[in-house]
Amino acid sequence: MLPPFELSQPQTLPEALRALAEDGGQPLAGGTNLFPDLRSGREKGDQFVSLALVEGLRYIKHTEQRITLGSGTTMSDIVHDPKMETAAPALAAAAKIFAGTMVRTAATIGGNVCCGSPSADTVPPLLTLAADVTLSSASGERTVPLDEFYTDYKKTVMKPDELLTSVSWAPPAPGSAHLFYKLARRKGDAITVTGVSVMIAADAGKCTTARVALGSVAPTVFRAHEAEDLLVGQALTPDLIEQAAKAAAHQCSPIDDIRATADYRLQTAHALTRRLITQAWKQVA
Amino acid sequence: MNQVDTSPNAIANVNLRQVGKNKPRNDAPTKVYGKAIYAGDFYLEDMLFAKVLHSDRACANIKSVDTSAAKALAGVHSVLTADDLPATNAVMTDMPGQVGGGTKNTKQPILAKECVRFHGEPIALVAAESYELAQQALELIVVDYEETEGVYDAFEAQEPGSPIVYGDDNIVAAYKIRKGDIEKGFAEADYILENTFSSQYQEQAFLEPEAAVAWLDEHDILNIRSSTQVVEHFRAVADALGLPHNRVHLQAPYVGGGFGGKEVMTIEVWLALLAMDTKRPVKLIQTRENSFISHGPRHPFTFTHKTGVTKDGKITAMKIKATSDAGAYAKLSPYILLYATVGATGPYRVDNLWIDSTSAATNNLPTCAYRGFGTMQANTACEAQMEELAKLIGMDSLELRRKNFIQTGDPNTTGQIIRSSVWSDQCATKALEALGDRPENADHLVYGHGLACYQQSYGRIRWMKDTSESWVGLEMDGTLIVRCAVTDIGAGQMSALAQIAGEVLGVPMGEVTVYFGDGHVNPLAGTSTASRALYMTGKATELAAVNVRDNLLECMAEYFGVSAGELDLGDSKVFVLDNPERCMSTKEMAKHCAAQGVHRHSLEIYRAPPSEGLDPETGQGEVFPDFTYGAHAAKVSVDIDTGEVTVIKSVGAHDVGQSINLRAVEGQIEGSALMGQGFALSEELILEKGVLKNGSFSEYLIPTSEDVPEIESIVLESRSGLGPFGSKGIGEPVFAPVAASIVNAVADAIGTRIHDLPLTPEKVLAAVNAKQTQEAAE
Repeated sequence: MLPPFELSQPQTLPEALRALAEDGGQPLAGGTNLFPDLRSGREKGDQFVSLALVEGLRYIKHTEQRITLGSGTTMSDIVHDPKMETAAPALAAAAKIFAGTMVRTAATIGGNVCCGSPSADTVPPLLTLAADVTLSSASGERTVPLDEFYTDYKKTVMKPDELLTSVSWAPPAPGSAHLFYKLARRKGDAITVTGVSVMIAADAGKCTTARVALGSVAPTVFRAHEAEDLLVGQALTPDLIEQAAKAAAHQCSPIDDIRATADYRLQTAHALTRRLITQAWKQVA
Repeated sequence: MNQVDTSPNAIANVNLRQVGKNKPRNDAPTKVYGKAIYAGDFYLEDMLFAKVLHSDRACANIKSVDTSAAKALAGVHSVLTADDLPATNAVMTDMPGQVGGGTKNTKQPILAKECVRFHGEPIALVAAESYELAQQALELIVVDYEETEGVYDAFEAQEPGSPIVYGDDNIVAAYKIRKGDIEKGFAEADYILENTFSSQYQEQAFLEPEAAVAWLDEHDILNIRSSTQVVEHFRAVADALGLPHNRVHLQAPYVGGGFGGKEVMTIEVWLALLAMDTKRPVKLIQTRENSFISHGPRHPFTFTHKTGVTKDGKITAMKIKATSDAGAYAKLSPYILLYATVGATGPYRVDNLWIDSTSAATNNLPTCAYRGFGTMQANTACEAQMEELAKLIGMDSLELRRKNFIQTGDPNTTGQIIRSSVWSDQCATKALEALGDRPENADHLVYGHGLACYQQSYGRIRWMKDTSESWVGLEMDGTLIVRCAVTDIGAGQMSALAQIAGEVLGVPMGEVTVYFGDGHVNPLAGTSTASRALYMTGKATELAAVNVRDNLLECMAEYFGVSAGELDLGDSKVFVLDNPERCMSTKEMAKHCAAQGVHRHSLEIYRAPPSEGLDPETGQGEVFPDFTYGAHAAKVSVDIDTGEVTVIKSVGAHDVGQSINLRAVEGQIEGSALMGQGFALSEELILEKGVLKNGSFSEYLIPTSEDVPEIESIVLESRSGLGPFGSKGIGEPVFAPVAASIVNAVADAIGTRIHDLPLTPEKVLAAVNAKQTQEAAE
């Protein structure tokens, strides 16, 4: 059963930030991770600050320079935003296969990013968008590249009194390819075994942007910088792509768990990175 | 697609008005509008709420259970441990229902006393003013465990020196089949192939977890309203509490799925004890987490098949060893092993046969009934072996099957002569045709087609002398009532009886009222298990309806001045066959017959064909009333980079004898397509030293709506079954071949076979890699 807890329901951001700072509560967004974890005892806590009623956290803003999602934006908001297919194709793809319909209706982008789970499906696409996150507290606001947000398994640079209020990124270069693949043990409502996202852009037959991010194969979702460095400035050949995939796999440090062995995760991280870079290169070249 | 046998030998070659048609079920509106009351929806004044303390370890001595703090908590009205129970502390876990004997009298402690033998074994019961209080009380109970050495493998459990969980040697049951001359059979073979296949635990995963309310009424009769497949559990509750049978009244409202998991008693006896102790109504709805450990999942089985075959594809001998893991208590394991033994040869005639089967106890979850009941596991292994045989001798696998299909008049595994139609060939041919062309392999995707046939019994083991009763009556106003205590577990059991009685008496099914699921008001009908509900309760209802029809027509024949045979009932009237203008409405007929004192009601019993058991040395004898035959075919793609399997198309083709409600038949085929897909690909309870590690729906992976392939149902009707209008049981049969067809399709796609289920992406990828490594070496 769900253990008893205190819930405050602020209606404005300052109220919410005050509650976090003064009452020591944990933020509660969609609750689709937190409640099952509380119920099973994996997560503890008896004081929560609900973000459900806080005004101004649920929005999607498209400008020519920047796409910004309020942290209360739900997965189904992303699915139903027609511009997302071009603003962040891989994020749109990840949101579409995120858990199941009921969870998509409640789960928020802020919650998914902040939970710090290595299997958080929106994180690889956001990392390959080179997204930033905005952290707010009663004393101010700061912007952190998502690539520097995670420090360890379920650990982030966020302070206890901070709240993630938005995620933003620059629109992908025209003609770029942004892909995501979720490998799981079933098609719906599944926890990712291996997740890969790539962003590839090209100009005059050379790769100008290469970003590769992998999920569920290390304590945090991460950018495979070594792989990216191999690709940028090159015409991508099968050999080079294989080298990059190998480099990406080399950066993985997966574990055995109930869903898969570390060895399987390594193999599939390698194969899927190769596949996605190959597909992306075909699209852009 | 629907095909009916119109040959003159079809026994029910008559024009049916409602039976066999695609009809909305009578229970549909109440369920669609959310009005149906399930066991957990029931509230009574002063009701208490129960919680159960389940053991969190698999094998331990209980040194003490301290309930003092729990009892002292305000709002807690009862805390019961084994010390508070009748000294016998036992509840029957054997074949329930209207069986007349021939059972093994298996029992289990109601609450663990000196030790726990499996993860989840109940230790204490609490009733309190709320679930929250009951939960708090549970957390205050202190159990002092002393962990002991357990055994967690069915083979190790049979080794000398193994910890003993059951009896003297952990052997829960064993069977032998000795038929023909096995040595001669292998000598005649051109090829001999040996393979071992194993399968996993599968959870029933019914939508509605165990739920019940128990209370003492104003007559001090113990009432229980429960989500169960078996209202006859009133007897087991009464025996466990030391009450006379007629002092326990058990009702089953609509049930949100059973699949065998609500065949053996689940929570009823716990609530009965709490209601007796507190003299207040007590309710329990199990949480999903606790549901996983509150009923027995499907038995893991290992089959070793050694098969002799000629180069022409004729099987000359089969030697099979079967082993199942019974877990910590026997429950229905002996019978499930028998089903697996009879089903070990699939739908094939094997004259030289040797089978040894064993079910061994371990400290794993006690396993029990689950749709398919051992036959499904056996069939999955047999159909894998058939594909491998076909590959070995270079023959098309359907052709190999055709050369060996059992036919009407042939003896089966136990020497029972098959009396009904066997349309294995037609079903297999149609199922494969419906798959269409195989797509070309592309990039990382390879495609495969798979087929599986089966033979699955319907109806109970014959020496148990199963019976079912039903009452049919025509009211004064011409409306029709059926009273039959069949439990409606979601497959349309109640609605089918309306259709059957309505067909016989000429009343539209929607106008028939059926009182069901209450065995103290309605005639006892036996369980909704063993694919017997339609067969047995439908037959009893048909017999009763025919009696009423005979009585009515005798009276009406006199009125019209014709013989009874010249009259028919249909479209709410009685009419002269040769001159339908001469007719009377059913309403007027009821009034007229009532005035003549005609008996417009009938209570009938249907008795399944009996037998006297098996020869213990040869395993020969008659086990089941009859069998259903058919086929399932699957088209899959496999991602050779990741091992992911996608089922693209799933086709069931079955001879159902006679469909009663075509829509309900299709529902069974579609549901089983997904349940079998889960078994083949993703479902598996993971136990570590007996402790369940994935008892939740985020880690125990049943197929979701996103995993649903295109499903096609092909319904054939030989009208040769023992059920009403020549129907056969289908609930389990349509499920029996599904997993095997998917497993065979994967083997076809990747060119190699995985011998242990489920086919997780990881296992598939390992098999693909191993094959590539082997090919590179060659």
